[in-house]
Amino acid sequence: MITIEGLTVSFGAVQALRNVSLVAETGKITAVLGANGAGKTTLLRSISGLKEPNTGTIHLDDQSLVHKRTEDIARLGIGHVPEGRGVIGEFTVEENLRLGAMMAKVNLSQGLDEQYALFPVLGERRKQHAAKLSGGERQMLAMARALIAQPSVLLLDEPSLGLAPLVTQQLMHTIQSLCESSDLTVILVEQNATSALRIAHHAVVLHVGKVVANDTASAVSADENLRQYYLGLVE
Amino acid sequence: MDPFLTSRIVTDVLGGLTNGVTYGLVALSLVLIWRSTGILNFAQGAMPMFATYLGFALLSYHFGYWPCVVACVIAALLIGGLTERLLVHRLYGKPEINPIVVMVGFLIVLEAVAAAIWSSTPRSLPSPFSSIHWQLAGKPFALSPFIVYEFATALVVMAAVAGLFRFTNLGLQLRASALAPEVSRLLGVRVGRLLTLGWMLSTVVGVITTILVSANFFSGLTPTVMDGIFAYGFIAAAIGGLESPVGAIVAGVLLGVVNQFVTDYVNQDSVIIIALAILVVSLMIRPSGVFTKSTQRRV
Amino acid sequence: MKLAATSRRVALALGVGVVATVSALVGTSTLRDGVALSLAFDLAFACGTFLSLPGFKWSHPVVFRAALTLLGLDVAIVTTRFLGSSTNFNLSTGAAMSIVLLGLSFLTGASGQISLGNGAFMGVGAFAMAIWANHHATTPIVLTLVIAVACGALVGLLLGLPATRLRGPYLAGMTLAFAVSFTFILSTFSSWTGGDSGLQLPTAAVAPRWLDGFFHAGTSPLITTTLYLTDLSIVVAGVAFFFMANLFASRTGRSMRLIRDNDVAAELVGVSLPRTRVVAFIVSSAYAALGGALLTLIDNSVSPQTYSFALSVTILSLIVIGGIGTISGAVIGGIIYAFSTNVISWITTQTGLNPQGNVASQLNGIIFGGLLILTMLFAPFGIAGAARLLWHRVRSRTSG
Repeated sequence: MITIEGLTVSFGAVQALRNVSLVAETGKITAVLGANGAGKTTLLRSISGLKEPNTGTIHLDDQSLVHKRTEDIARLGIGHVPEGRGVIGEFTVEENLRLGAMMAKVNLSQGLDEQYALFPVLGERRKQHAAKLSGGERQMLAMARALIAQPSVLLLDEPSLGLAPLVTQQLMHTIQSLCESSDLTVILVEQNATSALRIAHHAVVLHVGKVVANDTASAVSADENLRQYYLGLVE
Repeated sequence: MDPFLTSRIVTDVLGGLTNGVTYGLVALSLVLIWRSTGILNFAQGAMPMFATYLGFALLSYHFGYWPCVVACVIAALLIGGLTERLLVHRLYGKPEINPIVVMVGFLIVLEAVAAAIWSSTPRSLPSPFSSIHWQLAGKPFALSPFIVYEFATALVVMAAVAGLFRFTNLGLQLRASALAPEVSRLLGVRVGRLLTLGWMLSTVVGVITTILVSANFFSGLTPTVMDGIFAYGFIAAAIGGLESPVGAIVAGVLLGVVNQFVTDYVNQDSVIIIALAILVVSLMIRPSGVFTKSTQRRV
Repeated sequence: MKLAATSRRVALALGVGVVATVSALVGTSTLRDGVALSLAFDLAFACGTFLSLPGFKWSHPVVFRAALTLLGLDVAIVTTRFLGSSTNFNLSTGAAMSIVLLGLSFLTGASGQISLGNGAFMGVGAFAMAIWANHHATTPIVLTLVIAVACGALVGLLLGLPATRLRGPYLAGMTLAFAVSFTFILSTFSSWTGGDSGLQLPTAAVAPRWLDGFFHAGTSPLITTTLYLTDLSIVVAGVAFFFMANLFASRTGRSMRLIRDNDVAAELVGVSLPRTRVVAFIVSSAYAALGGALLTLIDNSVSPQTYSFALSVTILSLIVIGGIGTISGAVIGGIIYAFSTNVISWITTQTGLNPQGNVASQLNGIIFGGLLILTMLFAPFGIAGAARLLWHRVRSRTSG
């Protein structure tokens, strides 16, 4: 479970997040929605320690994450699939996965088998350089790389970006089944609000760094006033 | 066969290769540091030089050659690690000029301090193998036991580095830290420690090169012994492209051979001038180096 | 209206010119020498500036800079009359070095490029001056200086062209290779450059006949020559600084700073990247050559050992300590250079070191290298930059 209270993050004079509070419950998918610049990516980067907050607290269960180093936070079981996926093009698919498995005390071959079972395409291309993969395949690779370490929390930054609708659908389906089968806490940042809301249990809507909605996914879906925020129709 | 082996051309090629592998090793270290930290280490010759002085200071305590070599390696690890932690660490993310200036300053300080402590008088290091060239049918042959030892050592070092990077988990992490530091940290890779390790490794490669060079050149160990080799190593790295370890080694070896021919057929003074000309020409043709591929880093 | 303005200017210039000539003829004693010479110089320079400006205004920045330069030169020239010969000698080398530093300051600070080879460019100017003087002894000094500068600019062009395409480390390495190979280039052409022992100037530099009266600061010709050379160096430095100040503020200077801060923005604005970079490189090497040529005049000789890679590093250290990208930094660096030998020997005696020993001979390298590292890590903008920061902080505190 991830608990965030009163989080304020600024870049110089610009405030990216203002007094944000939310709870991502264990075993549930929490969607974080909002237009460009709403602060969604900053939120994930703050959790992962890539950006120091000005004030506020971030807790993994009862452990504080603020002021910890990114690599230490990752080793606590937080898997972060960043914006743009961060797949290392010069490495093969398998090397990317090996890298992901390194910090965890998992059996490498077992982990690889599991991920190849989950994403058969990766298994077929295991010796290929990651740069040669398609957008959807890279997304799978990035996720598999995060999953192979058996994290307890999964942070996903716009996984559907640049992907065809069908692929997005499959992706969301995969995320949903993953969450259901293990006790994974998922924070799903998405601009594609519709697909996200379909699989999420809980939803938070950000608007220029502030939380404007924090409710169950169905409630947020139903609320027509909220649509303007995550469809980017408000200044 | 013999006349061929002792002919001028073969002598030059072998002599050139002998120097070339040292340039290649220096170029390799430069590329390693460049790829992992984005810094061009102008002190890449001076740091190992200092470590060599430290290690061989044990000679006066009647330690033999091989224990001294071990001491040199330990000194190299220390110097490389301390330099990264204390000096280089503060330079990440700064404008390009800062690291260049600091490392040049470091080069000067190291050479000055070494000369202050141990004087500029050349010191001869003991050699485990004879430097006397073999004779073939009464004519001198370009190889000696020491030179063969030098080739062998260089090849072992290159193979070890290649093996480390290609086959080990540590090597994977080192490569990842260089290619995508932020992503690596998100995967729990302790990038900071690996960068320090990268510098330590680089200095160790350097110290092995320095030991070989100081023993081979009959002039011995001086504070400035690595200056020329650093210059050629840099030129080789720049020609091969600072991104490519293989390119660096190949360029270094070829440069060594070219230099040898120039020394033989033109004169000693022209060597650096011609090397400079080659550098300028190759950089005009391919400003980012001959062996660099323009691949995207992160996808 | 226009006619009246022009005739006013002409009258002013004429009047000023008359005053200048009269003052020039008057000086015979030490102090009056200096004051008179300075005045004469000032006024002649002022005339030139006034007449060259189409729309002359007192507040025009070029005029302001000219006035500032002249004031500085005034003070300097008068001061040299009171200083001893060895101090003057140091000052003259300091002045020559400050010109070189100015060139590098401009290159690094204004256009963001780095050169580790300015010692070699100094050598180009130094040897150009010596070689020309040996073959054409009758050429006036100023003309020989111009020739030396032209040579420096030419070599700068040769190296600057490939340099434009290179990023920081590659450029640094290329200039390093040039610096290292310079000594070898010199020995390759040893028939021209005099080999290991270098060249002597055929005649010592002396003041032109018509200025002779101004340098009788003492009875010995050595003192007179030193005084003359010191004043000459200072004046040349003043002119060099004046040009640089104007270049800095001009469109070319602004476009160079744009490049330093942001390549992409500069291209969008229409600044031609390679051309501006080459210009910066040429300016820097021309300035270095000027400094080197002056040094040859001052030393009356030139030797290859002076222009080594170590010199390039010293130059870099001095401008980093003084303040990269600033004009005052070059002055500070020049002063440091002028008195560094004295300071170092003072340190040697104070700490009781053996002056012939290992440590003493390396003190130069240890101190300069160490200062270079420390400055770059903790005060990258040098003394001038730190002073400027302090000044801003004081100002904001008193006004805010």
